[in-house]
Amino acid sequence: MSIMEYNGAAIVAMIGKDCVAIAADKRLGVQSQTVSFNFKKIFQMNDKLFVGLPGLATDVQTVANKLKFNLNMYQLRENRQMKPRTFMHMVSNTLYTRRFGPYFVEPIVAGLDPLTNEPYIATMDLIGCPMETKDFVVGGTCTEQLYGMCESLWNPDMEPDDLFETISQSLLNAVDRDALSGWGAVVHIIEKDKVTTRDLKARMD
Amino acid sequence: MMQHNAMAFNSGSDLLPDWMSAEHSTGTTIMAVEFSEGVVIAADSRTTTGSYIANRVTDKLTRVTDNIYCCRSGSAADTQAITDIVSYHMNFHKMELDEDPEVRHAAKIFQDLCYNYREQLSAGIICAGWDKKAGGQVYSIPIGGMLMRQPVCIGGSGSTYLYGHIDATFKENMTKDECMQYCANAIALAIFRDGSSGGICRLACITKDGIERKTILHQDLPKFFEG
Repeated sequence: MSIMEYNGAAIVAMIGKDCVAIAADKRLGVQSQTVSFNFKKIFQMNDKLFVGLPGLATDVQTVANKLKFNLNMYQLRENRQMKPRTFMHMVSNTLYTRRFGPYFVEPIVAGLDPLTNEPYIATMDLIGCPMETKDFVVGGTCTEQLYGMCESLWNPDMEPDDLFETISQSLLNAVDRDALSGWGAVVHIIEKDKVTTRDLKARMD
Repeated sequence: MMQHNAMAFNSGSDLLPDWMSAEHSTGTTIMAVEFSEGVVIAADSRTTTGSYIANRVTDKLTRVTDNIYCCRSGSAADTQAITDIVSYHMNFHKMELDEDPEVRHAAKIFQDLCYNYREQLSAGIICAGWDKKAGGQVYSIPIGGMLMRQPVCIGGSGSTYLYGHIDATFKENMTKDECMQYCANAIALAIFRDGSSGGICRLACITKDGIERKTILHQDLPKFFEG
């Protein structure tokens, strides 16, 4: 089994009308054995910026801490919130510095611009090659299933409630076809004035 | 088309998702319990190719004869082929004897195949049923081809999570309903922890009156501590 599939994960982010959503499963496994149903894979970086980290669990936690540290230093020096696109470049750089001994994570960035509130999502591979899209990004052990679900369900300009339903159904039905992800799910909807976090009732198998 | 693509790339190639070359495996949790009037057999319903769930409603409780069933774990292709062959033999056997075949005869043929072809096969089978000479019987034929009769038997990748549970809670001479509930509890516990087991729980009770099947959907499975 590949190192990226050792712990199992499923993460998806989508763009809506003046909002973004990011969702992840909650399983932590050791190959086929499930060890925890409460493993955090999405981390809040600032008020309207989230990063989701699928991949090897130890690197998920290390990279999340590193990114938060660097983001805090930036925000203290610049005295302003970091833009999502800038954050994406910072993540990319952090991963590329380890080009020949990489962190085994493929991050997903989701957020709103701190000033204009323009929605932004991006993903990258484990050595930092970025990909920005206008619709959705997926990551983890069931990306094929997630692509299929997102491609069928996503429409442009969805309101936050609609976006919540769409991203939830995309995630739940994709992880139900993957033996290494699932066991619970969490969804964050990021709008210009608030962030709503909801736990989904999912199949625990 | 899938065959062509799988041959064009090396298996394990980064260009090909692993489920296009991986073998179908019934990851699985299976179990069988003897009681006074017969046996209760149970299984989950997940078949995986690599980590992709190829079938989420598989029936792993397969008929050998009307009164003998088997629970299959390991390679889906191997266990289906073996069960077909045993069923074929038992058909002839029934005609020769002019009565329903005994469970231990079916189990012996399972053992024969699993032992003699052990290098080529990956099959863990539980053969269980009822006959009028010995009542309810459960025979375990794990990988390698051993044969052993047991009052309770568990198998498949999910069974590792059940050994302690069975040791601590099993008692002989349960009633039919107690056995059904016991099996449902055990399968639910394994489904919860094992990534290769999941879906629904299929139960069946084999007595002198034949087979009685029951299906428990995921949301109706017993719930335990979810810490």
